[in-house]
Amino acid sequence: MRHLLLASALLASPALAQTSQGDVAVTIYNDNLALVQDTRQLAIGAQRSRIEFPDVSGQIRPETVTLSGEGLGIVEQNFDFDLLSPQKLMEKAVGQQVTLVRTNPANGAETRERATVLAVNGGVVLRIGDRIEVLRDDSLPVRVIFDKVPENLRARPTLSVTVESERSGTRPVRLSYLTPGLGWKADYVTLFDEKAGRIDVQGWITLTNTTGTTFSNADTLLVAGQVQQQNQDYSRGYRPPRPNNIRKPGTESADRERLGDFYLYPLKERTTIANQQTKQVSFLDVVGAPGRKAYEYDNAWLGTMDEAQSANTVLKFSTSKDQGLGDALPAGIVRVYMRDARGNAQFIGENSIGHTPMGSELGLKTGEAFDVKVQPAVEKRERLSPSKWRTSMRYTLTNARPEAVTVDLVQSGLDFYWDDTRIVSESMKSERRSSDETQWHVPVPANGSATVTAVFETRF
Amino acid sequence: MARVSRLPVLAAIIVAMLGASADAQAIASSAGPQSVSVTVYRDPNRTAERAMNLGWLNGYALVSEVRTIDIPAGEADIRFEGVAGGIIPESAIVTGLPDGVVEKNQDAYLLSPASLLDRSLGKRVHLRRTSRATGAVTEQDAIIRTGADGAVVLQTEAGFEALRCSGLPETIFYDQVPPDLSARPTLSVRTRSQAATRATVTLSYLATGFDWQANYVATLNPAGDRVDLFAWVTLANGDETGFANANTQTVAGKPNRESDPPRLGRGGGELRLQCWPQGTTSDIDFPPPPAPPPPPMMAGFEGDIVVTAARMDVAKAAAPMQAVQEELGDLKLYRIPEPVTVAANSQKQVALLEKSGVAVQTFYRATISPWMGDEPFRATRILKTRNRTQEGLGLPLPAGGVVLFAGNRGRPLLIGEGSVGDKAIGEDVEIEIGDAPGLFVRATRTDVVGNVAKYLLTVTNDQPRPVRFDAEFNGIDKTSIGDKGAKLGRRNGRPLWSVTVPANGSRTLAYRLKNDN
Repeated sequence: MRHLLLASALLASPALAQTSQGDVAVTIYNDNLALVQDTRQLAIGAQRSRIEFPDVSGQIRPETVTLSGEGLGIVEQNFDFDLLSPQKLMEKAVGQQVTLVRTNPANGAETRERATVLAVNGGVVLRIGDRIEVLRDDSLPVRVIFDKVPENLRARPTLSVTVESERSGTRPVRLSYLTPGLGWKADYVTLFDEKAGRIDVQGWITLTNTTGTTFSNADTLLVAGQVQQQNQDYSRGYRPPRPNNIRKPGTESADRERLGDFYLYPLKERTTIANQQTKQVSFLDVVGAPGRKAYEYDNAWLGTMDEAQSANTVLKFSTSKDQGLGDALPAGIVRVYMRDARGNAQFIGENSIGHTPMGSELGLKTGEAFDVKVQPAVEKRERLSPSKWRTSMRYTLTNARPEAVTVDLVQSGLDFYWDDTRIVSESMKSERRSSDETQWHVPVPANGSATVTAVFETRF
Repeated sequence: MARVSRLPVLAAIIVAMLGASADAQAIASSAGPQSVSVTVYRDPNRTAERAMNLGWLNGYALVSEVRTIDIPAGEADIRFEGVAGGIIPESAIVTGLPDGVVEKNQDAYLLSPASLLDRSLGKRVHLRRTSRATGAVTEQDAIIRTGADGAVVLQTEAGFEALRCSGLPETIFYDQVPPDLSARPTLSVRTRSQAATRATVTLSYLATGFDWQANYVATLNPAGDRVDLFAWVTLANGDETGFANANTQTVAGKPNRESDPPRLGRGGGELRLQCWPQGTTSDIDFPPPPAPPPPPMMAGFEGDIVVTAARMDVAKAAAPMQAVQEELGDLKLYRIPEPVTVAANSQKQVALLEKSGVAVQTFYRATISPWMGDEPFRATRILKTRNRTQEGLGLPLPAGGVVLFAGNRGRPLLIGEGSVGDKAIGEDVEIEIGDAPGLFVRATRTDVVGNVAKYLLTVTNDQPRPVRFDAEFNGIDKTSIGDKGAKLGRRNGRPLWSVTVPANGSRTLAYRLKNDN
């Protein structure tokens, strides 16, 4: 009868059929971190009692758990991660009685007997009546049936809290904790109309849940910004930071909810974030913002390339209210599409953006141009004195497109981090952007080429 | 007896509860697209010299599917079944839903033995045991108490047991497939519609596991100054999903790609039961090691690859179907004019271009640097042309491999293979086709005086005809190279000695290097 009661309790519990979560609110940060608040209606007796919280995140950081409820004081808090398995079941059965079911291989007849588990060290040693036996040492089929599952062996990691209550009764109890395994980023779909110089941008929030737990019907709030975290877990692989591609940071405030430095993105309605799910919800839809294309090429040092190199195709747009998207953009990937001759949108490249304030100028390299190329070559290198060199550069720019283009040609690597470099002469005036870089805006005619030459005096 | 009769009653309550929750949201499934368009992009990190590895394709594709879906009124989950397994879910774009998209989801779980067990945790399943001796089958109900990583513990009316550790044939079976497990990769969209309607919906997404390249077949004429050029678009699909009658395009140029976030596991396929103790227990020292990770997606695909075109034969006749080039921003798009089937795990080839009588030059080149030894070495054979109409070209050439044949004995003879990067109109095209068998180059240091070293460069030709030879001086500035008699040109800013080596003869260049340091 005891078994039956256990089974009934098991079956009646909604935990295993659905979820034990109550009213769930999830605040998700960008860096694989979330704050979960779970308000459950629990019947708690007076005095001391133990409450279990199944269906918490499988990656819960137990040290961050706080529990609050009317008239509740916490005695102790335990996080049991000893998972139930056939092996654990046997190990925990030492000293206890189990039922053995032997099957006769000749006729299939079953015989049952009770046995005491003496030891589980490499093998299972049993006492059956007055015999000592090793389980299945004769390789004959024997089933072992356990009377019960030890209390702290669980199918999933489970949090339990021992509380002291002033009174008995059902009341809301709020559990809150931090967990990794929930994260979000933005994904932008950008349709670029090159002729009109316009972009349509849709922004999507992309949530991923790898906590091992489904959060049902959760009130979800997303926080854009980096939150300082201690002891970050790099077990999921180190990822180098992505470039933020901001050419000029903006100074405008977006019309969105803020908390301190962070922008908040509440989801309009409650949603279920299933385990191992990627979920997307729209948050931005802008039609016809100005956007233009530019060509850029950066020669990283005073060197020669054997073959002409494709110039970068860069999509430039603003996030300002007047001349742009008119919103702050949370970090993510911008995917750019263009219509082909038949009017179908085709992918032309993607790049990442960081958290971008409103009013910023963005320049995203979408790809490398097939038809616009630059070949840098060292024409001459002379030593003027032991610490003075003179390098003559020639840059050949070619354009196989039927329209004229302008290439922003950059020569960088000029100061080599510590030494000064002088431009002795150049065929067209450059703009020295820093001691390390100089830039020419080179017009290249349709189906034609252009040449820039420059002489640099360096100390190396 | 009371136990047995009451268990099913309790189970019925559970089933009712599950049913109620499933009814809360309507599900509209779309089994497959009615028309599909696939645009294949190259592996951004694969250079033209490296051929595609069909077992490890790192390019990608933009897949656009048009589906007709009956959308119920109210809130519904629209399930797009049979999307590419390599789908990048965050790239998905859905258009054509009458009232827009509430949210898009990719549930990672596919229906598999492991996910079936995982989803049945705490639920009633059936346990079937068969007697090896008599064949008698007994069935009973059980509840799965744990199933994590294949460590299965069942609860039956008798108590708790591990699954299949006893050596007896036993298995569990289920009443139904959990509603959120699908047989094929699936993307779902939650929508809210005013009224029930039939909508034509377009789903576009990027998917990994594709690649393409051009493959050029060049046949040199007997005089060696013209080639007949034929090129294939070779595209490969390493995905588990095929696309029948697809409008197919490929894109040349280099779109920028960011690294994708790690892909979520899809619930595993195989179920490996963890049993301990199992079988004879006295000789087991340690529990068995955990199950090895499932094999990588592509493993074992090589044997399944179907090559749908052969290389040489079709080159003779004019190709009835040829890819058409279009401009796409700063990229080049090649459209296959008729819908074709891009089957799962297959490679496909369609004619890209055909040009006969392209003017070419064959010459030989060696790179000379101050730090090389004085061993004679072979010069590199180079096929050179310019991508202009004068030479018989004048069209964008996407990157790919080049196979050079000569047809002087009535049968083609392979001369060598090379590769070419993306070449725009007007660019010089130089294709390195291996080393010359009989054109040797040797730079010998003849004398050193102070910081000046004297060298003699010798090039020898074993062919019965004169050949053009270029020596390119790398890492040597013109100011430090003294050339007596010979006139040096420049290529890419580097000193260049360009000569014709007579038939069965040799040429020499004496030069001096001054060491400034």
